[in-house]
Amino acid sequence: MKNIKILITILSIVLLSSCSDFLDVKPTNSAASETSITNANDAKVAINGLMRSMVNSNYYSRNFIMYGDAKGGDFAIYAQGRGLDGLYTFNHSQTSGNYGGFWAQMYDCILQVNNLLTNIEKIEAEGLGDAALLEYKGQALTARALIYFDLVRLYGKPYNMDKESYGVPLVLDLVDASEKPTRASVEEVYNQIVSDLAEGANTISKSVKNGFLNYYANKAIEARVKLHMNDFSGALVAAEEVINDKKYTLYANDKWVNSWSTAFGSESIFELGIYENEADLGTSSLGYYLLRLAKIKGASGWFMASDYYLQRLGEDADDIRWGIMDYDETSPTRFGSSLKYVGGPNMNGDKGGKVSATNVKVIRLSEVYLIAAEAAIQQSTPNKMKAATYLNEIRKRSPNIDLATEATVSLKMIIDEKSKELFAEGHRYFDMLRLGWDIEFNDDFIYPNVLIPHREKIIDRTFFKTILPIPQDEIDANPAIGAQQNPGY
Amino acid sequence: MNRFFLLVIVLFLVSIATAQISVTGTVTSSEDASTIPYATILVKGQRNVGTATDENGKFILPNVSPNATLVFSYIGFIPQEVSINGQEIINVVLEPQLTTLDEVMVVAYGTATKGTYTGAASVIKNDALKDVPSVSFENALSGKVAGLQVTTLSGQAGSTSSIRVRGIGSMNASNEPLYVIDGVPAISGNTGQMGDYLYTSNNVMSSINPNDIEAITVLKDAAASALYGSRAANGVILITTKRGKRGKPVVNLKASVGITPDWAYNNWETASNEQQVEMYYENFWNAGVYYENKTPEQASANALKQLNRRFNKHGYTFTAPDNTYNSLTIDGDRAGSYYDWEKALFRTAIYQTYDVSIGGATDVTNYYTSLAYTKETGRVKTNDFDRITGRVNLTQKAGKYLEFATILNIANSNKSGLNDSRNTGSNLFMQSRNLLWGMYWPTDYETGEPWTDRYGSYAYNPVYYDNEWENKSKTLKLSASEAVSIKILPELVFKSILAYDNTHTRDHLYYSPLHFNGSSANGVVREMSTTVSKLVSSTTLNYNKEFNRKHTIGVLAGWEAEENKVDFQRAEGSDLPSSALKTVATAGVLDASAYSWGNNMLSMLSRATYNYDNRYYVSASYRRDGSSKLGPDARWGNFWSTAASWRIDKEKFMESVDFISNLRVRASYGVNGTLPSSNYGWRSLISYNKKYMELPGGAISTVADAALSWETSYTSNIALEFGLMDQRITGTIEYFNRDSKDLLQDVPISRVTGFYSTLKNIGQINNKGLEIELEGQIIKNRDLLWTIGLNASHIKSTVTKLYDGQDIIWFEPGGDSRTKFIYQEGKSTLAIYGKEWAGVEDETGKPLWFLNNDETGDLTIDGRAITYDNSKADEIILGNVHPKLYGGINTNMEWKGMSLGLNFTYKVGGYTYDSASKDVAEDGYYWERIMSQEQYDNRWTPENKGAKLPMRVALDLNDALQRSSRHMHKADYLRLKSLNFGYSLPKGLLSKTHISNARFYFTGVNLWTWAAHKTYDPEVNEYGSKGFEIPIGKTYTFGVELSF
Repeated sequence: MKNIKILITILSIVLLSSCSDFLDVKPTNSAASETSITNANDAKVAINGLMRSMVNSNYYSRNFIMYGDAKGGDFAIYAQGRGLDGLYTFNHSQTSGNYGGFWAQMYDCILQVNNLLTNIEKIEAEGLGDAALLEYKGQALTARALIYFDLVRLYGKPYNMDKESYGVPLVLDLVDASEKPTRASVEEVYNQIVSDLAEGANTISKSVKNGFLNYYANKAIEARVKLHMNDFSGALVAAEEVINDKKYTLYANDKWVNSWSTAFGSESIFELGIYENEADLGTSSLGYYLLRLAKIKGASGWFMASDYYLQRLGEDADDIRWGIMDYDETSPTRFGSSLKYVGGPNMNGDKGGKVSATNVKVIRLSEVYLIAAEAAIQQSTPNKMKAATYLNEIRKRSPNIDLATEATVSLKMIIDEKSKELFAEGHRYFDMLRLGWDIEFNDDFIYPNVLIPHREKIIDRTFFKTILPIPQDEIDANPAIGAQQNPGY
Repeated sequence: MNRFFLLVIVLFLVSIATAQISVTGTVTSSEDASTIPYATILVKGQRNVGTATDENGKFILPNVSPNATLVFSYIGFIPQEVSINGQEIINVVLEPQLTTLDEVMVVAYGTATKGTYTGAASVIKNDALKDVPSVSFENALSGKVAGLQVTTLSGQAGSTSSIRVRGIGSMNASNEPLYVIDGVPAISGNTGQMGDYLYTSNNVMSSINPNDIEAITVLKDAAASALYGSRAANGVILITTKRGKRGKPVVNLKASVGITPDWAYNNWETASNEQQVEMYYENFWNAGVYYENKTPEQASANALKQLNRRFNKHGYTFTAPDNTYNSLTIDGDRAGSYYDWEKALFRTAIYQTYDVSIGGATDVTNYYTSLAYTKETGRVKTNDFDRITGRVNLTQKAGKYLEFATILNIANSNKSGLNDSRNTGSNLFMQSRNLLWGMYWPTDYETGEPWTDRYGSYAYNPVYYDNEWENKSKTLKLSASEAVSIKILPELVFKSILAYDNTHTRDHLYYSPLHFNGSSANGVVREMSTTVSKLVSSTTLNYNKEFNRKHTIGVLAGWEAEENKVDFQRAEGSDLPSSALKTVATAGVLDASAYSWGNNMLSMLSRATYNYDNRYYVSASYRRDGSSKLGPDARWGNFWSTAASWRIDKEKFMESVDFISNLRVRASYGVNGTLPSSNYGWRSLISYNKKYMELPGGAISTVADAALSWETSYTSNIALEFGLMDQRITGTIEYFNRDSKDLLQDVPISRVTGFYSTLKNIGQINNKGLEIELEGQIIKNRDLLWTIGLNASHIKSTVTKLYDGQDIIWFEPGGDSRTKFIYQEGKSTLAIYGKEWAGVEDETGKPLWFLNNDETGDLTIDGRAITYDNSKADEIILGNVHPKLYGGINTNMEWKGMSLGLNFTYKVGGYTYDSASKDVAEDGYYWERIMSQEQYDNRWTPENKGAKLPMRVALDLNDALQRSSRHMHKADYLRLKSLNFGYSLPKGLLSKTHISNARFYFTGVNLWTWAAHKTYDPEVNEYGSKGFEIPIGKTYTFGVELSF
């Protein structure tokens, strides 16, 4: 009997004294967020995580690129129900087809940036800042500018159309879960973008860092942003800095096609890495979306070039950019299928591995040349000579077409060249909206397979569906923003 | 033993005095004619004279007076008096005691007799479980217990059901009850990781052999369950496994075979092939003529072009000379014949189970061992399940004070070919009902080669692709518990249990390079290993004493520690060299992950009971839990209960009321809780799962609330129990009210913050209800016993408080958000939310919607504004999933060794939500898909104005895709859940064999169903929705049971 009592006593002591440890169970794959960024190394891990968040399917690894092309008139679809066709048909409403993934994913990225910036400030306040930390601060600010630029173009009217109208909510710090931010004006968002870019440019390094942002990416984004703001001289200055510093070089004509089989080519100012077992989307990757139906198992031919694009590229049968085009499901002679995201004609990806694990080139030097050309011709005192010079660096990729001259160069020529060069890279639609040009859809190509009741064949930026609705989920949680819904939805 | 010697001596002394005879005989039970060992035989009027039957139920009583009267008695049987009248052989058949009041049942940390227990608990005994052909016991509980809802999730082989006790008490944390097996909280729920890839679950409860279960106690109120503290708010299911019965070893053999040749009910039956073609044609014809101002010629040409483009390659051609469907003809090489996909994909399921057990007991040892094998080949051709279980239950007394109890259970199960994925490509049921036209063939009609292209839309050739992928889950469960009881004093028992439960699940998923899911990676194979382990140490001191024959007190005190851990490993390989090798080792590209998670808990517990003269009972319990799932400041919680009951029939004033054999009221109040499901919800975490360019990457993954705490339930319960006419009619009427407060609520937050939602303890839910259980013996005589039981539950489950009073819109979990709900203060916890369907305009066939806002409509019906455009209509609460009444009706008849049992389940009131009709009964949006007969019969055509469903038109009209009352239907149904017919061979026939009992039986499951809505099976999931998961079937089982 006595033994039992002793046993009980001992057991109680053991149990109760070890109690606090026993009840402190930690996860093995996560760490406490308050203490996870304390030095430059930790910041680097956070930057890696940020880049990975940017290659989500709702952002750069697919949907955002697709958005810029499916809506711009250069793409067409041949059947419905294969995926993302709502982008083409403009089947959007607040409750369905709202592509709310953009909203959620981009603001998730913003959170990661803000968390990193907050922690860097904290480290700096403790006097522990260093150059490496400043570098990541520059990258984070540049990333935030890019993300807000993308957001404001999806949800807000073009800057040069109505900058007083609603842009997107601006969140620059870690905010409490109970916050319900409402929309800032388009202008306020652009001002923030410009200021983030400027601050980022101060500390970000100029060296080439494959897969990450650097000073030139910052400047190229600035050139893009300023073009959208009709600040053409500002755009030209930024673009020319990228061009003149020669850290990046244009592909020669004989290297152009092969550049799609290589990761991080000489034109890649900002290229996001898509690696196997990371952000690779397999059969639902961008590459598969653009391949001809059944070209390889799982290829579904979601999107192909419109007749208009083929006509444009067809101005020169020897245009080197045909080298990346493959025939589509409608006919062996219609080269409407793009191979940009499968590693070019050999289809070995860009790292010699899985076809779908192919990087996304977010900013290429070619674009910067075309921005410079456009800025030169659009600025208050146009410099047509300069415009022609920059344009021709790209235009010479069509060997049978006359180069532009000071006399012949035109804005349309530059924008056409941009379409040819940057096909399937997510630019055409935003250019059309920015310029206020008509967008014509190749609907006759698919009729009668698909009927399109949600928009006209030709639209321009006055059509309310050219920007997306604020998703219902957001309005459910943040009712005040419901009153700021884009008109028409 | 001493007393026995004394008895012998007394008998010896008595025998000297008078001329005596010796009486011998056998005591058997009227229930199953088995012999009763250790029955007591006393001589009436003589103290301490008598004997007991031996292991075989035989007795010898020497030296009794030939005129004496013997009293035969045994626990659970009605004592019987027999006058000797000079007979030397007396065989007695004892009738089982019909009163259940003295029945001993297992309750929290101990046992209690039913008549004295102060809590609300129901017991289901082995009889009700043993013949149901189900891999897990949950199905057999359906309709048996008031307040218990069993929902079947899938008809897949090896799938299990989900249980809700008294409604829904949580929004975010689990609503599953706590499972306690033989006194030890058990691992329950899903153990594998296959759910990350396929829509399936691996419920570990299926590792218990239903035949090993002696009884199940369902603890419903706080008095019954509060001793389980922070995990008891959703009720507790106590499972007690079998023990040996005193007497010789009894060997039991049981074998049964069941077949499931068909589904239990309609499931969106498809229209005929010709009707499909007609609808397809009509779809384009209507679009052209009604919407695009085309001539019938143009519209017909377009429709034919579509049909020909789709089906020419399969050997069909289409013409319509008069440009309407009237002349629509199908020609071509394959014309007239269609492929039967239903037959190609499904088969008659076969369920087999073989069970052998041996049990017995002596004064010091009690043993029960069993081995069972169950195999189920599912209705889906790829789907199989098998399981082998072994059990040893052993109790050994060592001396006078010490008792050891050992329980060992091993179960190994294999599941394969799971296909409930809502991913359309691999869900065979959806393929057969929505995607695979009879005009698609698995072979190319020109070459005879397998057809490997997509047929169109998401239709794949499953005959080909089912060979190009495989999935398997293998679960090995090992549980061992060792208990030691020490009788410190006759009234004081110390008991300590150490239990270890280890469940290891291995999931294997493979897609060949030829499969569309494996092609981009050139074949992919995943091996996942999940080990769930639980260590429980529980120590109690139990004091029970009766004073002055009037006062009985019981005190229990103890503590418990529990450690839960999950170890997870995943190895993945892609780029596979050969389709013969489905292993990670051979893969060109490897990927892996491994980590663990878990939670711990410490508890102290106590209970006191007091009983005065078996008339007044009071009890109280208290438990204090500390859990690692909560932050240091919120970690400890207190849970308690009080209860009382009063046996009115034992009062003096009731003595004259003869027809009342039992009358009791009991009431309880108490507090118990629910822990958050997340292990680390109170910690703000960075997850390192954001690898980028082969570098580690991290991102904030949770918004934490450091103050995260328990959900607390305050339950009151009041019940009236009665028995009439010597317990021929018994019943319980019970009312409960459960206020669940501080509910964890996923508060949707602005996504601008970077998150979707945050978890807070703010919501409140009230569940209240009335439960009635009635049982009566309609006929009772020597040959025939006919009983009827009825149970009915009414539950009102209401959201009473929400964060800032703000509504929360939420979706049924499971990936595709098929049903939309809203939490709104004062409304049901399962309030279906969506747009209100106003039917079809008779003249035009256009869909109509109630606006439900202040806008001006296109027209009005009954004074309400209507719109053609669904995007203009506002969403409202459309209906409530909770039924008004649900329960079961059970009847049993026994006649000369034959028994017939019928168990019905029913539901009255409430709605179900049809998540398949947006696919199979829609208006032309998915024109590549096949439609249901319902769609064909009810769609609008110029000949069928006044139709229920709109005109079909091949435009992007998304009316059917809206979550709306169009897809909501009445839930009422009555189902013959099981029919059991059994026949035991007469003992006379068996007396020459070694067989003591032989029984043959037939069990039919889901044989008959009436449903208010006829389109799909009325047994829906806990969210009231039904989709393309494999339906449940009608099962016919034949079995034989032998005892030696």
